[in-house]
Amino acid sequence: MSTVIETVGLSRHYGSGDTLVKALDAVDLRIEAGEFTAIVGPSGSGKSTLLQLIGGLDHPSEGEVHLAGQPISSYSGRQLSDFRRDHIGFIFQAYNLIPVLSAAENCEYIMLLQGIKADERQRRVATMLQQVGLAGREDRRPSQLSGGQQQRVAVARAMVSQPDIILADEPTANLDSQTGMDLLDMMVELNQRDGMTFVFSTHDPKIMERARRLVYLRDGVVEREERRD
Amino acid sequence: MLMFKLALRNILRSRRRTLLTLLSLGGGYLLTALQLSVTEGSYDQMLSTYTRDTTGHVQITAEGYVETPRLYDSLSLNDADLSELEAQPNVVAVTPRIESSALAYGETKSFPVDVVGIDPQREAGLSFLADKLRAGTYLTDQPDTDGYFAAMIGAQVARQLSVGVGDELVLVSQGADGSLANDLYRVSAIVGTIDSAESRRVVLPLRAAQQFYAMPGKVHRLIVLGRDYRRAPQLAEQLDGWAGQHWDDTDVGATSWQVVAADFYRTMEADKSGGQVTMVILIFLVCVGVLNTILMSVMERTGEFGVLKAIGTSPGRLFRLIMLEAGLLAILACLLALILVLPINAWFTWVGLEIEPIEFSGVLFTRYAGQMSFYVFAQPALLIVVATLIAALWPAWRAARLVPVEAMRRL
Ligand SMILES: Nc1ncnc2c1ncn2[C@@H]1O[C@H](COP(=O)(O)OP(=O)(O)OP(=O)(O)O)[C@@H](O)[C@H]1O
Ligand SMILES: [Mg+2]
Repeated sequence: MSTVIETVGLSRHYGSGDTLVKALDAVDLRIEAGEFTAIVGPSGSGKSTLLQLIGGLDHPSEGEVHLAGQPISSYSGRQLSDFRRDHIGFIFQAYNLIPVLSAAENCEYIMLLQGIKADERQRRVATMLQQVGLAGREDRRPSQLSGGQQQRVAVARAMVSQPDIILADEPTANLDSQTGMDLLDMMVELNQRDGMTFVFSTHDPKIMERARRLVYLRDGVVEREERRD
Repeated sequence: MLMFKLALRNILRSRRRTLLTLLSLGGGYLLTALQLSVTEGSYDQMLSTYTRDTTGHVQITAEGYVETPRLYDSLSLNDADLSELEAQPNVVAVTPRIESSALAYGETKSFPVDVVGIDPQREAGLSFLADKLRAGTYLTDQPDTDGYFAAMIGAQVARQLSVGVGDELVLVSQGADGSLANDLYRVSAIVGTIDSAESRRVVLPLRAAQQFYAMPGKVHRLIVLGRDYRRAPQLAEQLDGWAGQHWDDTDVGATSWQVVAADFYRTMEADKSGGQVTMVILIFLVCVGVLNTILMSVMERTGEFGVLKAIGTSPGRLFRLIMLEAGLLAILACLLALILVLPINAWFTWVGLEIEPIEFSGVLFTRYAGQMSFYVFAQPALLIVVATLIAALWPAWRAARLVPVEAMRRL
């Protein structure tokens, strides 16, 4: 197995002096290709912070994130955005689709950034939306889709650019439990069939159960790990 | 294409703000386009009338005559020369002139005058001289039954010498050969008013002037009218080549009116740039308003921009997206305003606004006219678009530099 992402002494501090908050404190974590990993922990434990740093959305106070052996902290704004575009797929708790673009266009946008040709984009969007069960709804705007459907578009958008890893910060938190489970089942399927690496955060015990690796965070520190194979 | 769609839909998203922005940009366009149209139209009218009436578009003279007119710096001319010149491309009309000065005598008084010898028929076809008669009849080529040539005089000449139509007028001067020139003429008409450019002038038939100044078959200036006074420099260049070959005995050249009436030309150009300043100020004001709108719309969407960046939109692309939105907005505003500007400007151009007659350099203007030209529509549009883009620079730069997590906190 190859390492996709590795963090070394990764820390993120907010404020200073008395108000210093160590949102993340010297986290060493290695994510292998094909993993289906859950980051779990109580509210404020640093789950979001960890995912944001791995995904290059924020700069660490200390430590380093390595992508395929390359440290990303040295990246310029442009390199970092290219890194996110080509290597990371994001799924957010609040879906965060582009409101003025249709489901298909939301997926297409990211491939446009990658410079993929129009016919190839169209082909991939069609297959991907089919896979997440949204065939026939390609032209709907986000506001015309349910929360569960929007999150499926978000999954499709994250997948379609063929990243090395998909980071999902509480992807089911805004969904009712059944819809959340369905979404997770779909992610499991994509993981098993395509070998896509998933790292997601949650504090829902039912959702945790589906993960094959659990990383427990508390106060910004990795408390323990659990593997279920 | 997708970026274009994204930009367009973003614009259309907040209808009310977009409408307000379109109104202010479109209003700015409307005002500047109309201002430019009226400025250009009036200058156009002024310059085409002025050149037609005084200098022509191009003058063919002996070398140096334009700078320092001297009686003996003339060129020989016959009907064949005129026909050949008229046959040159871009030449619309041609008329020869002789110009010098003389002392004029009436019954009891004398007065220094400018003498102009013209070809009555050709002159009438080119300048507005024939339209300026206050009394009497226009010049004829032939002497009357008593053997006198006719002369048309300016209002000042008539007043100073107390002569009127039908009276005799004596001119005294020096001929080109150094001889004393003097002759008797019959006043056939009074031209213009006390204030007009012709006021101190005595206009003779060309033949009479040639005899008077002892320069048979010679003229001082050949006035050429082209198709467009703006293209006079090109026509001058073209005719300069022709004239140089045609007159091989004397140094003859062609000069554009912009050189002949250089002072006048410069004044007009300076006046015009004065108008441009007003336009720039107007556009500046419009853009301060637009800056506010763009800034607001960018701030409001900070969270969304955070997402765009999070999924891999580069700072440069985000910058361009916002610039594209601003540019589209400006173009849209100009296009919409154009629908309104076109008929208004058409009315200004072909009907115009009656005004109190103003005299300018001897030419009378009675209405404000617009100009229907690409320049009048394109120049303000370009200014509006460029200014909007400049106004968008800072908001776009700010958005481009957002840190994704921080921006997404604003969702
Ligand atoms: N911008 C910020 N400024 C100050 N403190 C912050 C900021 N963002 C996060 N924190 C703090 O960092 C710690 C970790 O926050 P984080 O959002 O990573 O937790 P989380 O595990 O995702 O929580 P939740 O389950 O509620 O989403 C918290 O104590 C939080 O208050
Ligand atoms: Mg969180």
